[in-house]
Amino acid sequence: MGGATVRDIIRMIVVLTLIGAASGLSLSLTHRVTKERIEVQIIKFVQEPAVKEVLTGYDNDPILDRKTIVVGTDERGNAIELIIFPAKKQGETFAVALEGKGKGFGGSIGVMVGVGKDGTLLDISITSHSETPGVGSRVTEASFTDEFKDLSIEEELEVDGVSGATYSSKGVMGAVNQAIGYVAKFREEIF
Amino acid sequence: MSLRHEFTKGFWEIVPPFRLVLGLCPTLAVTTSAINGIAMGLATTFVLIFSNLLVSLLRRFIPIQVRIASFIVIIASFVVMAELLMQAYFYPLYKALGIFVPLIVVNCIILGRAEAFASKNNPIISLADGLGIGLGFTISLFVLGCIRELLGSGTILGFQCMWSSFEPFSFMLKPPGAFVALGILLALMNLISQYQAKKGGAK
Repeated sequence: MGGATVRDIIRMIVVLTLIGAASGLSLSLTHRVTKERIEVQIIKFVQEPAVKEVLTGYDNDPILDRKTIVVGTDERGNAIELIIFPAKKQGETFAVALEGKGKGFGGSIGVMVGVGKDGTLLDISITSHSETPGVGSRVTEASFTDEFKDLSIEEELEVDGVSGATYSSKGVMGAVNQAIGYVAKFREEIF
Repeated sequence: MSLRHEFTKGFWEIVPPFRLVLGLCPTLAVTTSAINGIAMGLATTFVLIFSNLLVSLLRRFIPIQVRIASFIVIIASFVVMAELLMQAYFYPLYKALGIFVPLIVVNCIILGRAEAFASKNNPIISLADGLGIGLGFTISLFVLGCIRELLGSGTILGFQCMWSSFEPFSFMLKPPGAFVALGILLALMNLISQYQAKKGGAK
């Protein structure tokens, strides 16, 4: 930098630091203000349609009656929370929907899983994925997700994967297994 | 240099995607429907107004050697803010625009206005410039979105506009359709400009 004095360099550092700090501060404020609303929006636009797909025959509002349980802690010691959407009939919970995550070909796959109190898998619905369009994305189709219907959560899952989309199919299986694992482990709290 | 001119120049004279041919990535990618075009345009306008204002306010404070880095930090902050606000209030639109919302950071229009205009002018004029260019960009995206939506799905803003036996050209919703629509619009604009210039010359 031709002709830059020490004064100039210090000035650059100070200005950049100040701008960076102001940017960080304003973003963390915005994040704090919008956090709750964003969660509500995600529930409304991502989870709600999936919940309605996997649960049937309830007379309550599973979204309104949702409860949050702690299923463990991450490496930083923060609690990992799981939202449970209960389906009730005359006040009695007979099934729940919960979301499991699995690792697919293109990243994390989120699957909403409906589980009955008697331990049957009701239905599944993919909430989020980044699989290859037209290949891995076929795991979101009913021809695959319907295979999970009426399986028992006590036994190991046996489904035919989508041909050509082995990783994606495994990702969905992993997500379903995670959700089932939660149900088995936290049965008392969930039902 | 009048305030009025700084505001209105963005609508025709230097309307971003057509005259400056800047910001083509969002222009081509998100204009599959009119509403997506408006949403992208308004998000960009939001960022443009505030980045222009801030860059202009800080123009004497930012050393010339680190100006680009400072501009980018300022722009990126407003983009993330826009992203969070969209997620909180317009979630379906945020989903539809996807990766193109964070990509506003690298939209040349915004850095271009910061560097070429806001860093040399006072805040009020810069604000007018940002608003004008932003709205010009929004209108361009809306027009392009309308054309592609009308021909590609037979609707405008979701309302059925074509006769019932109309077969939509799905070609228009694909990237090549975007180029074709953009090219035709550019040609039309040049035709009008040429005509105007001729008329002006005859006077």
